Amino acid sequence: MAVPVEEAIAALSTFSLEDEQQEVQGPGLWVSSERGSTESPIEYSDVSAYRLSLSEDTKALNQLNVLIQEGKEMASVLYTYRSCVKALPQLPDSMKQSQADLYLETYQVLDLEMSRLREIQRWQASAASKLAADMQRFSRPERRINGPTITHLWSMLKLLDVLVQLDHLKNAKASIPNDFSWYKRTFTQVSIQWQDTDSMREELDDLQIFLSTRWAILLNLHVEMFRVNNVEDILQVLIVFAVESLELDFALLFPERHILLRVLPVLVVLATSSEKDSESLYKRVKINRLINIFKNEPVIPAFPDLHLSPAAILKELSIYFQKFSSQTRLLTLPAPHELPPREAQDYQRHYLIINHIGAIRAEHDDFTIRFASSMNQLLLLKSIDNADIEWSKEVKGSIYDVIVEGFQLLSRWTARIWEQCAWKFSRPCKDPVLLESHETSASFSDYEKVVRYNYSAEERKALVELVSYIKNIGSMMQRCDTLVADALWETIHAEVQDFVQNTLATMLRTTFRKKKDLSRILSDMRTLSADWMANTSKSESELHSIQHGGEESKGNFFYPRPVAPTAAQVHCLQFLIYEVVSGGNLRKPGGLFGNSGSDIPVNDLKQLETFFYKLSFFLQILDCTATVATLTDLGFLWFREFYLESSRVIQFPIECSLPWMLVEYVLESQNAGLLESVLMPFDIYNDSAQQALVALKQRFLYDEIEAEVDYCFDIFVTKLSETIFTYYKSWAASELLDPSFLFALDNGEKYSVQPMRFTALLKMTRVKLLGRSVDLRSLIVERMNKIFRDNLEFLFDRFESQDLCAIVELEKLLDILKHTHELLSKDLSIDSFSLMLNEMQENISLVSFSSRLASQIWSEMQSDFLPNFILSNTTQRFIRSSKVPLVPVQKPSVPHAKPNFYCGTQDLNYAHQSFARLHSGFFGIPHMFSIARLLGSRSLPWLIRALLDHISNKIATLEPMITGLQEALPKSIGLLPFDGGVTGCMRLVKEQLNWGTKSELKAEVLRGIKEIGSILYWMGLLDIVLREVDAMHFMQIAPWLGLLPGADGQILHSQDSSDSPVVNLFKAATTAVVSNPRCPNPSSFHTISKQAEAADLLYKANMNTGSVLEYALAFTSAALDKYCSKWSTAPKTGFIDITTSKDFYRIYSGLQIGYLEETVQVPSNNQEVLGDSVAWGGCTLIYLLGQQLHFELFDFSYQVLNVAEVEAASITQTHKIPHYVQGWDGVLEAMKKARRLNNHVFSMLKARCPLEDKTACAIKQSGAPLHRIKFDNTVSAFETLPQKGA
Amino acid sequence: MARAGGITNAVNVGIAVQADWENREFISHISLNVRRLFDFLVQFEATTKSKLASLNEKLDTLERRLELLEVQVGTATANPSLFAT
Repeated sequence: MAVPVEEAIAALSTFSLEDEQQEVQGPGLWVSSERGSTESPIEYSDVSAYRLSLSEDTKALNQLNVLIQEGKEMASVLYTYRSCVKALPQLPDSMKQSQADLYLETYQVLDLEMSRLREIQRWQASAASKLAADMQRFSRPERRINGPTITHLWSMLKLLDVLVQLDHLKNAKASIPNDFSWYKRTFTQVSIQWQDTDSMREELDDLQIFLSTRWAILLNLHVEMFRVNNVEDILQVLIVFAVESLELDFALLFPERHILLRVLPVLVVLATSSEKDSESLYKRVKINRLINIFKNEPVIPAFPDLHLSPAAILKELSIYFQKFSSQTRLLTLPAPHELPPREAQDYQRHYLIINHIGAIRAEHDDFTIRFASSMNQLLLLKSIDNADIEWSKEVKGSIYDVIVEGFQLLSRWTARIWEQCAWKFSRPCKDPVLLESHETSASFSDYEKVVRYNYSAEERKALVELVSYIKNIGSMMQRCDTLVADALWETIHAEVQDFVQNTLATMLRTTFRKKKDLSRILSDMRTLSADWMANTSKSESELHSIQHGGEESKGNFFYPRPVAPTAAQVHCLQFLIYEVVSGGNLRKPGGLFGNSGSDIPVNDLKQLETFFYKLSFFLQILDCTATVATLTDLGFLWFREFYLESSRVIQFPIECSLPWMLVEYVLESQNAGLLESVLMPFDIYNDSAQQALVALKQRFLYDEIEAEVDYCFDIFVTKLSETIFTYYKSWAASELLDPSFLFALDNGEKYSVQPMRFTALLKMTRVKLLGRSVDLRSLIVERMNKIFRDNLEFLFDRFESQDLCAIVELEKLLDILKHTHELLSKDLSIDSFSLMLNEMQENISLVSFSSRLASQIWSEMQSDFLPNFILSNTTQRFIRSSKVPLVPVQKPSVPHAKPNFYCGTQDLNYAHQSFARLHSGFFGIPHMFSIARLLGSRSLPWLIRALLDHISNKIATLEPMITGLQEALPKSIGLLPFDGGVTGCMRLVKEQLNWGTKSELKAEVLRGIKEIGSILYWMGLLDIVLREVDAMHFMQIAPWLGLLPGADGQILHSQDSSDSPVVNLFKAATTAVVSNPRCPNPSSFHTISKQAEAADLLYKANMNTGSVLEYALAFTSAALDKYCSKWSTAPKTGFIDITTSKDFYRIYSGLQIGYLEETVQVPSNNQEVLGDSVAWGGCTLIYLLGQQLHFELFDFSYQVLNVAEVEAASITQTHKIPHYVQGWDGVLEAMKKARRLNNHVFSMLKARCPLEDKTACAIKQSGAPLHRIKFDNTVSAFETLPQKGA
Repeated sequence: MARAGGITNAVNVGIAVQADWENREFISHISLNVRRLFDFLVQFEATTKSKLASLNEKLDTLERRLELLEVQVGTATANPSLFAT
C-alpha cells in the first residue's frame, strides 16, 4: 500500500538531526525544484491557452530572451578577456629562420580568440536589427497585434542593457584592439602564401572598424532603429516606464533597478536625437525628473570593478549623436570626479555604508526577531489540527509580509555594497603615503588605490558587519524555504483570488458598468485567473455555513489553496491591467498610472496600480531560493578584470583582495563582536567561484580563486590559531597574577583580558569552502598541539640559555602554559599537557629517568653553578660571584619569540617578568621548590645520584693534590707557643706551612672543597623543601588512611585491625551498589574498591621517606672510607698524637688560615670567590673523618685566637690600651667568623649525622679509643638508586 | 482604436483554468514534498558529517595515545634485563 507523501515526509522530522555547529556562514546549498518562476519555465507557451491573441508578442518576447541570454555570454567573454599578446614568445636571434613558423602558430592561437570577437560583431548586428524590428512592429500607431506586454517591455530594456554593456566592455578593454593589431600583422605575414584572401581581408577590416570605433554597437542600433522613423513612441513608453518604476521604487529589486539606471541615459539619448522628439518626450516626462534621477545616482554599478556614470555617458554620447548635443541641461551634469567638494561630501555620506550601519543593525535585529516569531507561529499552526481559518490566514499572511520585507532588506543592503564599491572605484584614495608612510607611493597600483587603501578600518568593519547580516538573513530565509513555501502560495493565491473575485466584481458592478470594452477586459482577467472551485474539496455543510455568514460582508468567500499563479497568468494579468489603464494607446500622454485624461476613477486606478506592482513581486517570492541567491551574491567583490588589464600584472597579491582584507581585519581587530563573522568573507569567495563557473564560465578564473582561497584559508587558520592561543594564554596569565597585587595597582585593569568567544568557531566541523567541506576544528586542534609543543620547546630553550636561577621563571611560565591548556581543553580536545610535557622533556621512556630538564640542571650545576656561585650561609642563598667567572660558560643566545610564547600580551609579560626578576639573581629555597616540582619524583633521584657521584669524583681528584700538600708539610707540627704572641704565632705558622711553590695546588684544593660544600648545602636546601612537600602531602592523605596524632606526637592508626577509611568507604559503596539488582556492571565497582586498596598500600608505603641530606652525608662518608687511611693516621700509641701533620684537618687548617689571611690582605677577594661553602665542605670532610675534635684543638687559627685572647688579657691588664692592633685585628676578626661558621656547620652535622654514639662506644676494652669506626653505610642502598646516565 | 481582443471562448477557457488550478495543486504538493525530502537529506548529511568529525577527533586522540604507549612499551622491551627480578 502506498504511503501518503505527506505522512512519509512528516515521519522524517522525527529523526533527530541535531548539530553542534552554529550558523556562522552564509547559505551554501540551493535546492530548487523549478527553473525559476521569474521567467516562464516553458517559454510562455501556455499564454496562447488564454486566447488573448498574444502569440506575436510571445514569439517576440522569447526571441528577445534568447538574445539576452546570448548577450550575457558574450559579455562574459569580453569581460574575462585577457591579452594573448603578452604571453606570446619572442624568438631569439639564433632561431630567426623559423620566424615564419612562429607567425603561423601565433596566427592560429589568435585566430581562435578573434573568431569569438567576430562572432560578437555578428551577433550584435543581428541583435540590434531584431530589437529594432521588434520595437517597430509593436509601436505602430495603427495597432494590428496585441502588445507589447509589460514582460516584453522588460525584455527590451534588458536586451538594450546587454548591448550597452557590451559596448562599454569593448570600449574599456584595451587589450582587445591590441591583440587584434598583432593578429592582423601575423595575418599579413601568413597570408602571403594563401590564395584568395580578399574576402578574409575585408572581413578583417570590418572587424577592425568595429573594434576601434567607440560605441559601435550603440551607433549601429541607432541606425537600425531609425531606419523607419517610428520607434519614438515605444522609446517614450520605455522611458516613462523606467522613470516611474525608479520613482516608485516599489517591488523593484536591485538588479532590475540597476538595469533601469544603466539603460535610462542611453534611452534618453536615443529618444532625443531629433528636436521634435525631445519636445514630445518632455511633454510626457518633465526633464527635471530625469535630471533628478541622474543626480541622485552619480555612479551606477555595472561590472564588478567598473562603474558607469550617467553624466559621463551623456557627455560622451553627445559627440556621437549630434542632435543630442543641444540638450545642455542634461550635459551640464557633473561626472563623479568633477563633483564640487561640498556635493561630493554629500554623496559620500550617502554612499558609505559606515554612515548607515547603525540603522542597518537596528533593522537586522528587528527583522530577525520578527522573522523568528513568525516562524514559530507557523510551526505552532502546523502542529495544530483544525486550526481556526482566520488565524491561519493571519499567520500565513504575516509570513508573506516578513518574507517580502526580507527580500527588500537584502536587496537594499546588497545594493548598498554594490554602490559603495562603485563609489570607491570612482574615487581612488588620493595619497596612500599618509596611511603607511614606510612605503613609497610610486609602488601603488591603481587597484591598491581604489581597494586596498581606500577602505578605512571603520569602513572594513562596517562592511564585514553588513556582509554577515546579508549572509545571515539569506541563510535564515533559505533554511525555512520549504517550510514556508505552501504558506506563501496560499497567501498569494488568496491575494489574487481576492482581487479577481471581489475587487474586480465590485468594479464591474459600479464603475465599469457602462464601459463595454473595459468591462470585457476585466472579465477576461477574472476568467483567466479565478479559481472558483477552490472550495470543492471541503465538505458541503462546512462550506455552506461559512458562505452563509460571509456573504454580505466579504463578498465571495474562497478556501485557500496552496497553489501560486503561473508566470503566464501573471504575465497576462499585467498585460490586461496595462491595457485597461493605457487604453492600448502608446501615445497616451502622461505616465502609466498617471490619471490625466483617463476616465477611470482615482480609487480604482489606485487599486489597479497596487495590484499591478504586487503581481511582479509575486514571482520573486515564488522563486524564493533563486531570489535569495541573487540577493545575497557578493561574488563581485573579488573580480578585478579591468584593473588587472590596466595594471599589466597577472594577478594582484592577496592583500589587495577585498575578501581577504575583511578576514584580516576581523582577525587583527580583536573585536569580540566581529569574531563570529570571520568566516563570512569566505562566502564572498564561494560566491565568486560560483560566478566564475556558472555565470562567466571561465575555468581559469575559478582556478585563480581556488588558489587564492587555499592560500588564504591556510593563513587564516594559522592566524586564527595564534589569536586563540594568545587569548587563552593571556587569560591564563592574568588569572595567575596575584590578586592582591592587582588590587593594589592603580592600572590593574590593563592586566585583565577582554572576554572573547571562540566557542562557535571551535565547533565548526564543516566550513563550506568552494564546494568542499573543511573541518576547521580539527585543523585548529592540529595547530594547537603544535603550538603547545613549540611553546614548551621554546621555554626549555630559553631556560637552557640562562642560568640555574631562571628555574623559577621557567616554572611560572610552565604553570601559565598549563593553565592555558586547562582553559582551552574545555572547548577543544587537545593532547594532555603532561603527555606533551613528557614528550618535549624527552622523558617518555619507561626505563630512563633523566629528562631534558634534569640533565640541563645537572650540566648547569656542573659547569656554572658549582664553580661560579658562592654560598651565603646567613641568607641561605647562592649568589653568582662578582669576580670574573673562573670557568667561562658557553651558552646559546636567548631565543626570540612572540609575546604569546611568554604570557600573552606585552603588559602581562612585563608584570610577570617583574616577578621573575626578583628571583633571577640568586639561588635559594624558591628555586629549590621549583626544581622539586618540575623534576618530580621521577627525575629527582637521578639528579641526586649524579650530584653524589660528583662528590665522590671530586674527592678522588682531590686526593693526589692533598697528598702533594701533605708532603710539603714538616713531619711534625707542635702546638703554637704563647711567647711570640700573635705575631710570633703567625710567623711560625708560615714557616711550617711552606707551600709557597704550591699556591696553584692550594687554590685548586680549596675550590674542590668548596664544590663539595656547595653540593652538600644544596642537598640541605633540597631536604628542607622535600620535607615541606612531604608534610603537606601527609596532611592531605592522613585522614584517608585513618592516621591520628597520638598524645606524644606519635602517629596512631585509628582502626588497628580493619582497613583504612578510604578502603572502607569504597567497599561500603560497592556493596551497596552491587546489592541493588539493577546494577548494570558490578565488576567495575569491585575494581574500584580494589584500586582503593592499592592506593591505600601505596600511600602508606610512601609515608616515611628518609632525609636527602642524611643520605648524602652517609654517601659522602662511604666515599671517604677509601681515603681514611691516607688522611687520618691512627696513632701508634693509641692516644691522640698532637704533632701529627698528615691528617686531613691539618691540611684544611693550613688552607683556612691561608685564605683568611689573604682575605684580609686583598679585601673582598677570596670571600667572594669561595664563599661559605668552603667551611661546609671542609668541616663535613673533617667531621666524617672523625677529626672534629682534633680540628677544634689544633687548628692554627683557633690556636692563634687563643694566643690573641691571652695576649689581649695580659695587655689590658698592664697597659689598658690594646696595642695588638698592629695589623692583626682584621685577620683575627676573620678567624672568629670562620670559627663561628665552623661551629655552626659542626652542630648541624652532629644533628643530622650523629657520630658520637659510635665514637663513644669505640673505646677498646683497654680504655684506648678506637679511632674512626667504620659504621654501616648500607651501601646496598646506593645500588638501588638509578644509575647516572641510564 | 482596437482594444485588446477579449478571450474568444471565455467559458471553455474558464473551465480549463479551473482544471489547471486543480492539477497544479497536485503538482505543487508533490514538488514541495520532494524538496522537503532533499532538505532532509542535506540536513542529514550535515549532521552525519559533524558526528563523523567528532568520532574522528576521538580516534585521533586515541591514536596519539596509543603511539605514545607503544613507544613506552618499546623502551621497556628493549631493556628486558631491567625487569628481570
